[in-house]
Amino acid sequence: MSAQLIINVHIVKNDLQTGKWQKTMELIYLRIENTTYFLIPLLCKILHDNFPGLYMTNAIILMYVSWATTILAVVLMCFIPSAKKSILAIVTVIINAIVTSIPAIQALGGATSDFSFYAGTFLGDVPIRIDGLSAWFILIINFTSVTGIIYGTGYLKAYKNTASKLSLHWVLFILFHLSMVWVTLLQNGFAFLIAWEIMSLTSMLLVIFDGHNTKTLQAGINYFVQMHISIVFLTIGFLWVYLETGSFGFDAFQTFFASNNNLWLFIIFFVGFGLKAGFIPLHSWLPLAHPAAPSHVSGVMSGVIVKLGIYGLIRVISYVQSDFILLGEIIISISILTGLYGILNAAIHRDFKKMLAYCTIENIGIIGIGIGLGMIGLGSNSPLLYYLGFGGALLHVLNHSLFKSMLFFAAGSVYQQTHTRDMERLGGLIKNMPQTAIIFLIGAIAIAGIPPFNGFVSEFVIYSGLIEGLKSDNINLISLLILSFAGLSLIGGLSILTFTKSFGTLFLGNQRETLPHQPHEVSRIMLFPQYLIIAVMLSIAFVPQWYLAIVGNLLSGMALVSHPIAEGFEVSSLAVYSKTLSHISLYSLLFIAVIGLFWMIRHYSQKSKSIIVGNTWGCAYVAPNNRMQYTGKSYSKPLGKMFSFMLIEKKRYPEIMAGEIFPQPRKYSSHYLDFIEHYLIDNAIRLLLTIVNYFKFIQNGRVQSYVMYGIVFILTIFILTLLNLVK
Amino acid sequence: MLSFILILIAGAFFTGIIIRTKSVASGRKGPGILQPINDVVRLFKKGAVYSGTTSFIFQMAPTIYFSSVVMAMMLIPFGQSKGLISFNGDFVFFAYVLALGKFFSIISAMDTGSSFEGMGASRESLYSLLAEPAFFILMGSFALLTGYTSFQEMFAALHLGSYISYAIAILATFVLVMIAMIENSRMPIDDPKTHLELTMIHEVMILDNSGFDLGLILSAGYLKFALYGAIIVNLFIGMVPYPYAIPLFFVIQFLLAIIIGLIESFIARFRMSHNPQFIFALTSVSLLIFFGVLLVLGKFI
Repeated sequence: MSAQLIINVHIVKNDLQTGKWQKTMELIYLRIENTTYFLIPLLCKILHDNFPGLYMTNAIILMYVSWATTILAVVLMCFIPSAKKSILAIVTVIINAIVTSIPAIQALGGATSDFSFYAGTFLGDVPIRIDGLSAWFILIINFTSVTGIIYGTGYLKAYKNTASKLSLHWVLFILFHLSMVWVTLLQNGFAFLIAWEIMSLTSMLLVIFDGHNTKTLQAGINYFVQMHISIVFLTIGFLWVYLETGSFGFDAFQTFFASNNNLWLFIIFFVGFGLKAGFIPLHSWLPLAHPAAPSHVSGVMSGVIVKLGIYGLIRVISYVQSDFILLGEIIISISILTGLYGILNAAIHRDFKKMLAYCTIENIGIIGIGIGLGMIGLGSNSPLLYYLGFGGALLHVLNHSLFKSMLFFAAGSVYQQTHTRDMERLGGLIKNMPQTAIIFLIGAIAIAGIPPFNGFVSEFVIYSGLIEGLKSDNINLISLLILSFAGLSLIGGLSILTFTKSFGTLFLGNQRETLPHQPHEVSRIMLFPQYLIIAVMLSIAFVPQWYLAIVGNLLSGMALVSHPIAEGFEVSSLAVYSKTLSHISLYSLLFIAVIGLFWMIRHYSQKSKSIIVGNTWGCAYVAPNNRMQYTGKSYSKPLGKMFSFMLIEKKRYPEIMAGEIFPQPRKYSSHYLDFIEHYLIDNAIRLLLTIVNYFKFIQNGRVQSYVMYGIVFILTIFILTLLNLVK
Repeated sequence: MLSFILILIAGAFFTGIIIRTKSVASGRKGPGILQPINDVVRLFKKGAVYSGTTSFIFQMAPTIYFSSVVMAMMLIPFGQSKGLISFNGDFVFFAYVLALGKFFSIISAMDTGSSFEGMGASRESLYSLLAEPAFFILMGSFALLTGYTSFQEMFAALHLGSYISYAIAILATFVLVMIAMIENSRMPIDDPKTHLELTMIHEVMILDNSGFDLGLILSAGYLKFALYGAIIVNLFIGMVPYPYAIPLFFVIQFLLAIIIGLIESFIARFRMSHNPQFIFALTSVSLLIFFGVLLVLGKFI
C-alpha cells in the first residue's frame, strides 16, 4: 500500500505539465485519509482483520512492554559500567518510543484505542484513550525524546567519571519521557495529575543536573514552585468538575460544560496549562529553566513539555460547549501579546539559550493564535476556520518541536565547545564548527517562518485562517483579526531580527575573545539527531499536504466526538488548502531552482575572473581589531530603545566624580530585566512576603510549640464536635 | 508572464529615470537613462575581492537576495492576467520570499565582521520589520474589501467607484511607495547619494561586495522598485484591456520614478532616530485604509 502511494507521488509530478494535476492530488488526499500510512498500521490492519481479539488487546500489551522495559532498565542502570549506561538509556527510550508510537500511528489512521487498567482501590479503573490528538502529541514526544537522548549521550560525554550522577540522569530521562507519554494517554483527572506531577518532578531534577551551581538550583526551584502553582489550578479544576458531576473522568467535562458556565472553569484550566505552556504573564519560569538545564533537556523541554500545556488546553477545549467566540477572542489577544513579548525579549538577550527560551514563548503565542482561531471557527460555525485554526496550531506544535529542539541542540554544541552562553564573547564559529553553523542557520530560517522550510507551512495555514476569519460579519472580530494579522507579521519581522543577530554574532565575523580551548566541530553522535530533525523538517516543507491531511483527519475526529455544533464539519473543506500547500511546496522547490540557476551563472561567470582575498574594508582605518566588530547588543539596541517602556535595561557603572582628575579604569555593565517578572511577579511576591512575615511567630523552630499546635488542633476538633458544629 | 517581462523592462529604466530627475532638479544634465544598467553590466564583467573574514554565507547571499526578488516578481499579476505564480494567500508568500533575501543580505553584512556593515544590518532589519505590519494590514484590508485572497483576484476586483475607494487607492499608493523607499533604503529613510560610510543602511551593508555579486545586488534593487511600481499599477488598471493597460503601466512607472526623484531632490534625510516613528506611522495609514474599507462595506453602523 505504501508502494502505491509513492507511485502516485510520481504521477503528480509528471502530470504537472499536462494539467491533470488536480485530480491526482485529490486521489492522494483521499488515499491518505482512508488508509493508514506506514507499514506498522498495515500490520495492525491485518491483525485486526484476522485476529480481532488480539488486536483489541495489543495496545494494552504494548503498554505492559513499555513498563517492563522501563523497570528493567532502571534496575540494570545501577549495575552496568558507566560507559554503557548511555547506550542502555538510548535503547530503553527507543523501545518505549516504538511501543507507544504503534497505537499512536493506528489512532492517526482512525483506529482509536480505548481501554482501561486497574490502578488500585482508590483510582479504580483508569480509562485510557489514544485518539488522534493524543497520538499527534505522542509521536512528537517520542521523536523529540529519541533525538534528545541520542544528542544527550554525546553532550554528557565529559561527565563519564561521575557514574552515579549519570545513572540518575538517564533514569530520570527515561521516566520523564514515559510520564509525558502518559500525560497524553490518561482520561482520568486524578491519574492525569499524577502523571503530570511525575513529569514536572523528573524534568525539574533533570534541569538541576549542574546542581552545584547556585544559579541552576535557583532556576530549578523557581520551576518547581511554578509547576506546583500550575498543579494547584489543575487540581481545583478537576475537583470542581468532580463536585459537580461526581466523576474524575474526562468525559465528565462534557456534562459539566453542558450545564454550567464555560468561562470560569476554562480560565482555571487556562492558567494551569498556560503556566506550562508559557503564555504571558505565566511565562517567567521558561527563561530561567531553559538556560540552566543541559541542552538536550532544554531541547526536549522546549520542544515538548511546553507543548503539553497546549495539549491540555486543546483537550479541555474539545469539551467546551459554549462561549466559543468570547474564549477565542481572549486566547487570540493573549497569544498576540505573548508572541510579541516573547520575541521582543528574545531579540535583546545576549545569553543565547535565554534567547531561545524567549523565542519559545513567542511560538506559543503563534500556536495560541491558531487555537483561538479554531475556537472562533467553532463559535461562528465555520468549518474551514476550525480546521485552519486548530490545524495551523497543531502543525506549528510539530514544527516548533522540531526546529526548537534542533536549535537548542546546536546551541548546546556551541556551549560544549566554548563553555559560555554569552554570544558577545563568541563569533566566527562558522569556521570552527561549520556543520553546527549550517544546522543553526537552517533552524533560524525555519523558525522565522521563511520558505523554503517548514516554519512557513504552519504560519501560512494560520495566516490563511486569519484571512478566512475576515469574512465574518462581526466588526469586533474583524478588527481583532486584522490586528492579529499585523501582529503576526511583526512577530515574523522581529524573529528575523532576532535570528540574524544570534546567527551573525555567534557564527559570523571574527572570534571576539580568545577562548581557553579552540572550539571544534562536535562529535557525530551529536550531529546525527540534528540531521534527522532536518530530514523531518524538509519532509514537512515539501509534502505539507500529508501532514495537513493527518491533522485534518484527527480534527474531524475531535469535532465529531465532543462538539454537537460541529456536526457538519467535513474535513473535505480543507482540501483546497491542502492543494494550495502542495503548490507552495512546489514553488519553494522552484525558488531553490532559481537560486541554483543564478548560482550556476555566477559560478561560470566568475570562473575566468580574478578573485582576490583581502581584508574587510575598514573605511580607510588600517588597524581594526576583532573587538571592533558590531556586537549583538548594539545590533538590537535600537529596538531596545524603541520598546524601552517594556524592555527594562539596568546599567551599572560608576560615575566620574567631581574631583576625579585621573579616572581609574572602570567597569560598565548592562542587562535586561523581564518586565512582567520584575514589576508584576516580584512585587506580588514581595507583598506576599510582607504579609506572611507577620505570621512568622508560628514557625518558631521549637518542637514544644509544634506539639502544642497538634494538641490545640485536636482540642478544637473535639470541642467543635461536642457542640455539634462539625459532623 | 506578461507582468514578469514588463517588470524587467521597467526595472531597466526605473533607476535611470530617478537619477535623471535628480540631476535635472539640481540643474545638471545627468547621465543617460541606461547608465545604471551599463554599470551593472560592467560589474558583471569584473573580478571580485573577498574579505578573508567572510565565509560561504557572504558568497551565497547576493545570489539568494537576487533570486528572492525574481521569485517575488513572478507573483505579481498584471490586470486580468495572473502572475507566473498565483494562489490564495500569495501575498503572504510574496512577503516571506522577500524576507529570505533580506535575511541573507543581513547575515552577509555581518559576515564581514565590520562595524559599519553590522550597523547597516541592524538598521535594515529594524526598519524592514517595522514596515511589515503596514503591508499586511493593507493586503488584509484589500482581502476584506474584495473577498479574495490572491494578488490577481484582489486587484481585478478592486472597483474604484465611490470617493472613499479613491481615497483608499491613494492612501494605498502612498503606503506602497513608502514601503518601496524603505525596502530600497532611499530618501527620506536613507540617502544613497552620500559618501558610503555615511550612508547608514543598505549601501553600507554592501561595502564589501564587489564584481558579479555587487551587480546582482544593484540589479535586485532596480527590480525591487519596478516590483512595487507594478503593484501600484495594479491598483489602478483593474480590468482595463491590454492596449491601454500596457502603456498605462509604463506611464505610471515613469511617473513613480519621477516622484521618487523629486522626493529625493527636495526632502532631506531624516535623523536615524526619527525613522522608526515615521515607518510606524505607515501602519497607521494602513489602519486608515482598513477603516475606509469598513466604511465602504458598511460594517460601521
